Amino acid sequence: MILHIAKKEFLNNLLSARFVIGFVLCLVLIPFSLLMNIDDYREKSELYHLDRDAAEARLKSTRVFSGLRPEIVLPPEPLSLFNRGITGQVGNRVKILLGEKPLLAEGRAATRDNPFLDAFFSIDFVDIAAIIFSLLALLFSYDAVTKEKESGTLGLQMSNPVSRAPLLAGKIAGILLTLLPVLFFSFLLGAVIVLLSRDVAFRGLEWTRIGLVAAVSIIYMTVFAFVGLLISARSRSSVTSLVVCLFLWVFFVFLVPNLASYAAESFVRAQPRDNLTRVLADMDKVRDEEISARAKSLPKPDWDMNWYSNGGADGYIENYGCSKSYFEWYRARAILSEPIRLDTADKKWAPQKSYLDSLNRQARAAETIAMISPAGVLRRIASALCGTDRRAHKADMDRTHEYRETFIRYLKGKDIFASFRWFTPTPPETFRTADELIDLRSGGRFKALPEYESWRVEQKDFRAQFEVLRKVKVPGDKPDDFPFIDLSDLPRPPPRPASLRLGLEGSVAGIGLLLVEAIFLFYLSYVAFLRYDVR
Amino acid sequence: MLKTVLKREIQHNLYSLRFMVALALVLLAFILGAVSFVRNHEDALAKDRLARAEFLDKMKEDATKSLTTLAVTKRDYPLRPRDNGFIYDAKEKYLPDAITFSAWNVFGFRNRGGSVNPFLAKHDEINWSFIVGLILSFVALLFTFDAVSGEKEARTLALALSNPVSRGALLFWKYLSAIVSFVFVVTPGILASLLVVLFLGAANISASLAAEVAGFLAVSVLFAASFAAFGLLSSVVSRSANVSLLLALSFWLLFAVVIPNSSAFLAKKLYPIESAKAVEAKVNAAHGDLSKNAPPGSWSMNYGNPFMPLHELRANLQMKLLQAEKAIRDASIQAMSRQFEKTRWLTALSPIADFEGLTEAVVGGGYPRLLKVWKDLHAYQGQLLAFFQALDAQDPKSPHWYNPNEDVSTTRRPVAFETVPQFTERPMSLADRLKPAIPFLLVMAISACLVFFISFILFVRYDVR
Repeated sequence: MILHIAKKEFLNNLLSARFVIGFVLCLVLIPFSLLMNIDDYREKSELYHLDRDAAEARLKSTRVFSGLRPEIVLPPEPLSLFNRGITGQVGNRVKILLGEKPLLAEGRAATRDNPFLDAFFSIDFVDIAAIIFSLLALLFSYDAVTKEKESGTLGLQMSNPVSRAPLLAGKIAGILLTLLPVLFFSFLLGAVIVLLSRDVAFRGLEWTRIGLVAAVSIIYMTVFAFVGLLISARSRSSVTSLVVCLFLWVFFVFLVPNLASYAAESFVRAQPRDNLTRVLADMDKVRDEEISARAKSLPKPDWDMNWYSNGGADGYIENYGCSKSYFEWYRARAILSEPIRLDTADKKWAPQKSYLDSLNRQARAAETIAMISPAGVLRRIASALCGTDRRAHKADMDRTHEYRETFIRYLKGKDIFASFRWFTPTPPETFRTADELIDLRSGGRFKALPEYESWRVEQKDFRAQFEVLRKVKVPGDKPDDFPFIDLSDLPRPPPRPASLRLGLEGSVAGIGLLLVEAIFLFYLSYVAFLRYDVR
Repeated sequence: MLKTVLKREIQHNLYSLRFMVALALVLLAFILGAVSFVRNHEDALAKDRLARAEFLDKMKEDATKSLTTLAVTKRDYPLRPRDNGFIYDAKEKYLPDAITFSAWNVFGFRNRGGSVNPFLAKHDEINWSFIVGLILSFVALLFTFDAVSGEKEARTLALALSNPVSRGALLFWKYLSAIVSFVFVVTPGILASLLVVLFLGAANISASLAAEVAGFLAVSVLFAASFAAFGLLSSVVSRSANVSLLLALSFWLLFAVVIPNSSAFLAKKLYPIESAKAVEAKVNAAHGDLSKNAPPGSWSMNYGNPFMPLHELRANLQMKLLQAEKAIRDASIQAMSRQFEKTRWLTALSPIADFEGLTEAVVGGGYPRLLKVWKDLHAYQGQLLAFFQALDAQDPKSPHWYNPNEDVSTTRRPVAFETVPQFTERPMSLADRLKPAIPFLLVMAISACLVFFISFILFVRYDVR
């Protein structure tokens, strides 16, 4: 009997305009969203390869260990083309520094070329699914009861020896039977587009994840079908039911997700980034002052002259052609400064973490409020399964933190802060005293430093003071005389582990919620239908 | 007769369930949005005070060092959050919010990064423009989608036409009544939101606010007219209200979801611009070229002796570097603007995008505002440069070799901070606001008329049986 009713409902629906238009909508919107996102993914992959190669090249062209700063470039998540999650908002590059732990990834691919385009929003497969599937579910269920009442066939059916429960079950089965092909077709279409695309290749695990998203979409659709059924069973006319359904649709699918983020942004405060920047800069200042204060007590070098010198952020220094005592001074300074730098990085983590926590709190509040809407729940589950949510990003960032520790252990294992190789590739046995250098460079014109100095202060021409030292080239006084560091023993950052665990963990609560909603709504519509006045 | 039709239609709309539900939903959205705005704005203002204080402190500090330091230091001018953001935020959160300048150049803009939480998905703020553009457009469609086909199904259409009223008039009054009903939904929402905002002290009653509210209402009515026309069209195209509804929904999805969300993709595909990497490479190449061909000794530096002749070489070199970089970057920024503007033209197909463009003009925010500050800051930069050069000319200890990056070969006297010209952003004038909005206005008005006209023709041929 149930089958009979289901078949009737199904055939009824199949021939209706809404089925055709719904199908056409899927046929247009799904490829549209996927093609857009595949293009976006291709761009991200290209950038990833460029960035990774550039980082690798930079790493390999280092001659001193103080300039060694590995950069982790996070690969784009292939499933981001089904659900972008926060991947468009967070960056993909993390530089491993000694003076600071990684805070947020840099380099957002989306707006690198034109920041104005940030004012435009984009949409993905799951967004489309959330919009279309809920709309179709409501459109097929809003008049499930009322239409037959209006046309008078409901009373007729009831006159058959069939109780209301199987009738309702048959109707539900009929609706789901109509909706499921559309859903399967949409996912199939998505899969075909992915398979045909040359820019993206899915492995087994990714297909599993998409399969799970499809399964969750079925529950999502069912929830909305029950919402429509409930409203239908509580309304006297189809028009009333329709109007209520559509307003609920706009409310849940369009208003709530935006409202959730906006309310969270307004009521759960995130710390200002400027504040953190200032606090960190102040801590850096304190650190630098401490380093230079303590460096004052170091024995002065006899001649503080760098023949070639380079330096930069995070304690990078690279020196060539210094006198032996100046090299010694640099080494003593590194022994003193680098532990302080590492120590400050640990101290800086407290305000950094409190800033990150405030961002996370805000985002969590938005996610929680968005759970009011099944569309919010679906998006959350999908982004967890696709590995594009906060958890996945946090796992990525946690790995960068671990890698930083590994890198520091690697440096300490070489006792590198106490080594000359920290700031110069010049072997210590070739170091020369200031007098030797002066003698060599001036081609014997000056035998010792004081001799040169007393001559130098009398020279008016600034450049002539140094021209005299260029007479003879001393080997090892510029970078090109040395090879790059051998990095064969440098530990490499671990790749992103392929596992479903994180995705399942992040989605289990949402799936449970959707199921509970579906059952609850089913019960309500069942009760409402039992009490329905068929006249 | 016409009055009767209008009265009947409006009453029909106002007493209907959809009106009640729409009103409830819209009021809820307006009030929640307003309360959120007040809190959000407080926060934004606090952040802005911090940024502004820092900006001024840095400037004061530089002024006490020397006038040259003040002139050559690059600074970020922070854009102030707008008080009328509850009408429309114009997505300013995602747009650049600081412009970098020195006395020698306006370099570029950037998003200081404090305005957006990267862990929060990109979202719209619940402001008037969002509510009207997304929700009330839906309501406008709901008021009209069954205006004809619904009456046909209820068999009252033939009855109505048996009266001495022309089809055109009937359709027009139906159209008008939908717009009037729309106003009945919007106005309470706007009033509620205004009350919240005024009561909580986030805005003050002023002539400009009144003008903006009036402007917003006017634009909203035009917008409603545009969507109601599409609703009527879907109503007369089909013989059944069901199909009309689906058509109307498809229109809405196209305008509210598809077109706005494909903009960034279309921009990149249809109007590609040079990548940031390519621009950077160009700048580096120009720098390398100039530095390599610079006269020897250009990089020699002796801070103790400003008059060292080599300083003049470097001043010239730095000036050339600045100009070369400026040419490349300005061209790149122009390309960005063109790409953005062209894309917006394309999205003007959607009345919702037009509406956003128009409300942007009403509140004087978003992209046009950024462009205006960008332009005004160029004028200010000229002023600052003239100020610097005038004072430098009076200093006998300065060799007057203008170097845009260093404080070596120009005056080293400090300057009283109070005398330094300051930049303040002025609100956009009416002309500033209108100019970028006129195309949107035209597109929306013309499309509304056109769609209504098509509906009219179809309705004249409509089979009322």
